Amino acid sequence: MIGFCPGCGTALGEASFVQEFWSGTDRHFLCWCASCRLMCTVVIGALVGTEPEH
Amino acid sequence: MLSAEKNERLTRVGPGTPMGELLRRYWWPVATHDMATRVPVKRRLLGENLVLYRDGGGTVGLLAEQCPHRRAALWLGCTEEVGLRCGYHGWRFDASGSCLEQPGEPADSTFKDRISATAYPVQELGGLIFAYLGPLPAPELPRYDLFVWDDAWRDIGHAELPCNFVQVMENSVDPYHVEWLHGRYGNFLKELGGSGPLPVVGKKHVKVAFEVFEHGILKRRVLEGHTEEDEDWRVGHPLVFPHMLRVGAAGLATFQIRVPIDDENTWHVWYQTYRPEGGAPPRSDIPVYEVPLRDERGEYLRDYVDGQDIVAWITQGRISDRTKEHLGRSDLGVILLRKLYAEQMDAVARGEDPLCTYREPHEVIDLPMEKDKFGSAVEFRQLWTRESSIRYSPIKDEIFELFGDPVPAWA
Ligand code: FES
Ligand SMILES: [Fe+2]
Ligand SMILES: [Zn+2]
Repeated sequence: MIGFCPGCGTALGEASFVQEFWSGTDRHFLCWCASCRLMCTVVIGALVGTEPEH
Repeated sequence: MLSAEKNERLTRVGPGTPMGELLRRYWWPVATHDMATRVPVKRRLLGENLVLYRDGGGTVGLLAEQCPHRRAALWLGCTEEVGLRCGYHGWRFDASGSCLEQPGEPADSTFKDRISATAYPVQELGGLIFAYLGPLPAPELPRYDLFVWDDAWRDIGHAELPCNFVQVMENSVDPYHVEWLHGRYGNFLKELGGSGPLPVVGKKHVKVAFEVFEHGILKRRVLEGHTEEDEDWRVGHPLVFPHMLRVGAAGLATFQIRVPIDDENTWHVWYQTYRPEGGAPPRSDIPVYEVPLRDERGEYLRDYVDGQDIVAWITQGRISDRTKEHLGRSDLGVILLRKLYAEQMDAVARGEDPLCTYREPHEVIDLPMEKDKFGSAVEFRQLWTRESSIRYSPIKDEIFELFGDPVPAWA
């Protein structure tokens, strides 16, 4: 999971929102930061091999 | 997936929880008009036990269930000309919670002036009784169009669903389910039963879009065989934040209202208006009906559109375990809704009014909705009057007559 805001670096704590979803072979994390209010999506395309089995 | 902590935050509605605090900033239907009578009844909203009554003077009151004296339930009580009298020792309370009488206390006692029952503001509108459980001053009760039109017929269906309200709301930003749950699964059941498929709901989604706007989330879709010129895309229809879906087509406009009873139960209200071109003939009653969940064998009913939705919601579990889900691109509407709840919880924590708070008196709030839905108003009405909870309405036949739509070939 993404623990820090890619925009302002603040910890994505209680009030923030982090939601994982999948798009093709990529793992996406939609992040909304309650400190700077940035909404962005972190895409972990190169790390697909670390995806747990499910 | 969503972390366990975020799922808790999203789904807990009791006092003191972030979602509970957000939801307490809104007026909620707590009952249909026929439930408030001289006989007090128990209701439960946002995890709080309540007692609803209408006193002899016609005033509707909503009090916390337990009497402040020795905590007997106030539904064990009798309504008087003014207020509700606890059945145990006769203490009497008015709708503001003031204690008017303590029969057993000395005549000169001022004890009653220092006692009050927990009371919540209520208002009647459009056949529903709305309650506000949040901090005062309460905002205005939003006068959404369907609640106030004076040239429409109405009826109200309702049922208690054994699941959290968020999974029901998520269904309203999940357009793809229509072509599968209703278009494929629903038609699969019809095939097995020997009848033909429903038209309309099987159409494939070519494109969907969601946009946060002043009333919540506006949804648009393009279905196969249609274009961006069609109203499904140009107009769309809203999820009204935080608790309703607006759905319908010309003359038939409805709300699905999702009222959290507590973390694990939802009171679902199907609120219909019928208003053909030029208005409906005058009618003062608003019939109320219960929507059954199971057939005579105890199986969940799923041979109609609303039944299919209900079973999809309930089978996700009392509170869907979102740590085990796998969302894809087709779930972006669901993700947007969760993010909107998170953002609005944060707004409340910072002392702001959340989305859809109305502080100014107003006549009516008009909401957008397609006239020609899924390509045709008539086809949609033919479908919806037969395949939604309306099939249980006591005035169903009068509604068919009111619109005069031909009986569809598939019916
Ligand atoms: S395919 Fe969506 S819940 Fe099973
Ligand atoms: Fe549905
Ligand atoms: Zn930030």
